[in-house]
Amino acid sequence: MALKKSNIATASSDENELKDCKTIGQNLLSDDASVRRWAARDITHCDGASMMLLDQLEVETDMSVRQVILTSLTQVGDSEAVEGLVRCLRTEDAGLRNEAIEAMKHLPKEIAPIMACLLNDSDPDVRIFAVNILESLCHPDVEQWLIGVIRDDEHINVCATAVDLLGEVGSEQSTQALQELKDRFDEEPYIQFAADLAIKRITGD
Amino acid sequence: MNILIVDDASTVRMYHRNVLEAAGYTVDEAVNGLEALEKALANKFDLYIVDINMPKMDGYEFLRQLRSEDVDQAPAVMVSTEAAELDHTKAFTAGANLYMVKPIKPLQMMTYVRLLAGEESV
Repeated sequence: MALKKSNIATASSDENELKDCKTIGQNLLSDDASVRRWAARDITHCDGASMMLLDQLEVETDMSVRQVILTSLTQVGDSEAVEGLVRCLRTEDAGLRNEAIEAMKHLPKEIAPIMACLLNDSDPDVRIFAVNILESLCHPDVEQWLIGVIRDDEHINVCATAVDLLGEVGSEQSTQALQELKDRFDEEPYIQFAADLAIKRITGD
Repeated sequence: MNILIVDDASTVRMYHRNVLEAAGYTVDEAVNGLEALEKALANKFDLYIVDINMPKMDGYEFLRQLRSEDVDQAPAVMVSTEAAELDHTKAFTAGANLYMVKPIKPLQMMTYVRLLAGEESV
């Protein structure tokens, strides 16, 4: 008897949850920004949350709602959320791009498997944004990724962004690559300056 | 002449500061558009050198908000890694007076700074 009661309670709870999710999904489309903001916060436990959040992100004009959507996407953190955040890197909306970068910094486990792809993207701007993500991505491969960038990337601004970060997170194993970068861009004052500064910070000289 | 450098990359800020201070200018720094706006509203600057991609507030938004304020305005050079024509147009629409693509060579920067300071023509 107790088992039956428990089953009924679970079924009822599931139904309520479905109803809740349906309401939350509708609220995410509300004309009222504060209703959308609450819905964006509450939707994370619902099936298909990432798709609904990403659909709304494309049309969302209220900055505070957008911020909550991005936070919720990082909380969900599934492959759809990650793919959606990566798509944001290609948008012309600089604000959304930068917010997506900040959001992705909180997903080291999910971003790490696609980092190599991002760092080899055909668009140098996306490669620069990928390096920006590495800035706060707590992952053991960050230095190796950065060394790979300054060794192999042909775009000076991608390398410049990586050098800036290597000055903060680099160790002795970066110094040879930094020296090689200086040789590769020997007529670029900024690279000379940034690489010298990074080497100085690393070696303490 | 008082110049505000707005860039989230510390190495870039340091590099620009070195170039400008070597030429005798006074330099202040902001790490994003929000800090830049606070400084711009509290102090008088003669020139802004502004990056585009920054957390919290990007360079476009900083210039849009600055230009909408009832304060003494100063010219702004937008500096970015983005070289597409659309990026230039967006910068000018936001309120930039010049657009430079990174990395900046010191001579190039000084030419533009002197031009905007009214010290020299290009």
